[in-house]
Amino acid sequence: MILEQLIGNLIQGLVLGAIYGMATMGLSLIFGVLRVVNVGHGAFIMVGAFIAWWLFSALGVIPILAIPVALVIGLALGFIFYYSVLRRLIKAPELASLLATFSIGVLLEETAKLIFGSEFRGYNWAVGKITLPMTVLPMTKLYACLGSVLIAVLLYIWFNKTRAGTAMRSVVEDSEGAKVCGVNVEGVYAMSFALGIGLTVVSGVLLTMFIPVGINPYMGGPYTLKAFVIAVLGGLASPYGAFFGGLVFGLIENGSYTLFAFLPGVEPFALTRFFSCMMLLVILLIRPTGLLRAK
Amino acid sequence: MSNRCSIRMIGFVAVFALLFATHASAAPGKIVIGHPACLSGKYAKAGEQAIGGIKACVDWVNKVYGGVTVGGKKLPLEYKYYDCESKKEAVTSLISRLITVDKVDCIFAPYSSGLTLRGAPVAESHKMLYMDHGGANNKIFRQGFQYIVQTIGPASRYHEGTLDMIHKVDPHAKRVALAYEDSEFAKMVMAGAEEHAKKLGFKIVFKRTYPKGVTDLTPLLSALKAAKPDIVIGGGHFEDGQLFNRQMADLDINANALSLIAAATLPAFYKALTGMAEGVMGPSHWEYGVKYAPEEAKKVGLPWIGPSQDEFVNLFKKALGKDIIPDYHAAEAGAAVLALVMGIEKAGSVDSDKVRRALGDLEFMSFYGGWDVDDTGLQVGHSMVDVQWQGGKRVIVWPAEAQTGKLYYPMPTFAEKAKGKLAVPK
Repeated sequence: MILEQLIGNLIQGLVLGAIYGMATMGLSLIFGVLRVVNVGHGAFIMVGAFIAWWLFSALGVIPILAIPVALVIGLALGFIFYYSVLRRLIKAPELASLLATFSIGVLLEETAKLIFGSEFRGYNWAVGKITLPMTVLPMTKLYACLGSVLIAVLLYIWFNKTRAGTAMRSVVEDSEGAKVCGVNVEGVYAMSFALGIGLTVVSGVLLTMFIPVGINPYMGGPYTLKAFVIAVLGGLASPYGAFFGGLVFGLIENGSYTLFAFLPGVEPFALTRFFSCMMLLVILLIRPTGLLRAK
Repeated sequence: MSNRCSIRMIGFVAVFALLFATHASAAPGKIVIGHPACLSGKYAKAGEQAIGGIKACVDWVNKVYGGVTVGGKKLPLEYKYYDCESKKEAVTSLISRLITVDKVDCIFAPYSSGLTLRGAPVAESHKMLYMDHGGANNKIFRQGFQYIVQTIGPASRYHEGTLDMIHKVDPHAKRVALAYEDSEFAKMVMAGAEEHAKKLGFKIVFKRTYPKGVTDLTPLLSALKAAKPDIVIGGGHFEDGQLFNRQMADLDINANALSLIAAATLPAFYKALTGMAEGVMGPSHWEYGVKYAPEEAKKVGLPWIGPSQDEFVNLFKKALGKDIIPDYHAAEAGAAVLALVMGIEKAGSVDSDKVRRALGDLEFMSFYGGWDVDDTGLQVGHSMVDVQWQGGKRVIVWPAEAQTGKLYYPMPTFAEKAKGKLAVPK
């Protein structure tokens, strides 16, 4: 029984972890290239969630088809906020960009509240379930997981096989050197920020495929917190590390719950968080740059 | 010269003292309610409802009731509120501001037990009446506060009706699972439910909490599934309630009854979950359709005050400028206004000490139902109702005297619901 529950929860954890990883890649990308900590990260996840909900509820568009829409909107938001706010703050003290991204987050939340209200929303895309011996997996969760993996692979290819990706990596390595080699560093900053936001907004869509309820303007908070933990776990400046970190985090979160549940007199969820943070500390002690070192 | 000067001085002081005394003894021109309201943040939804409910009843008091009678004069009510952003730090500073800068006569607590508890010591330090309309946790009333008065019912009684009902309908159902949010309020509900369940002979087969702001309940629900409960009760607030129901459906966890606090009684719950919410129940302090009226108040020997249910609904819609039916958050906040009015009139003063004493002796009925508090300010006169989603509509199924429809039991399985089965009794 314990083993059955453990395996079931690990499968669920792996699926959720892929989405957590996807939701953190944007944060890591922005930090890796621009050295900007996007405190408003969760608000962009919320934007993606609202895009999925609105397209499905108002127009009947299935969430998978909402992904390209979310990517376009995310890229557009990224460029807008980069050129209107972040561009001026790249060389400013870190606190300035921290406050700026925090303000952008609040702006997005309050705008969403103005448009959609503060109600908790959800949608129901019923496409069946897979019943495994140890757990039940709705197809929407599986699609979300596969979508996350696919996007992570595409991002990997883009980074390693395209000129734009190579330029971006060169800026991560040494922005001054890249400039000397003729890389348009300013353009790379803008593209990285836009791509980071685009990925984050897309992750909002994928997240609603895993949890299609509780969509509201302030839903991003817990995800911001988790994304920071995962980003540090995987290596703050490494998008692939973030994805890997997400998988590990999902497995730890779900797997440890099952084990702690068998300890008498303890609330397993409370210990799960404790355990996740302990694991983070241990990993940082062993590998201060995270599981996958930033290149 | 010296005598003249002294006489002048005495005369001046006398005139000044007379002026001051006149000013001090004069009845105020209006009665101001101050409120750190949750306009934004995680309680924005309940906060909006509370504001609508307060405005509706203030409007009724001023326009229909003609104002609050103090010292033979009718005084209008004024409502002043600021957004506390559902944050504890903002609550304390706003209460201080409302008392010291805006000079309000009474403070209405913000929504939720946590925020109500945070604001209570501030109101207490200013010896200011503190009307709790959205903080149900019994613990608030065990701190020795002198100025707090509750309108919402206490948390410990939330699931009593649910358990009584199932015990009556299905005496064979014995296995109860409790899964609540790890918050002061929800844990108090859980303690009350556990105690009552044991009293009725139920067996608690699962008892766990989950953290606030939880985003995935799969591990907890997988363990709950293994316990094979007949009845699942739990919840905390809105977002986790939706998540609870949704993930029970995802994991195919079927029980005869599912009752969730806070979330399940809101229209947004069904809107988000559609058919998955069929048959799901929730305890509520008030629902549109309850039959509280002046005639019923007369029957039980209580004075009646306030608008009728439909009048309240219309005033609420007008106050918010939205065509929505108020939920219990609005009703309890509105009822708190009516309690304040009765308390001030009974005390013949707006002085917090006198009004607090008067409220302690007060018992009345309004569209919200009965109202009576014990010595600590805890609400003891209000009964809760149980609501069930049937065919997309909220139906009051318990207690029998408030029923607007019969209970659908057992709840359809999630597989049946996915095929479109509704929980509508034949």
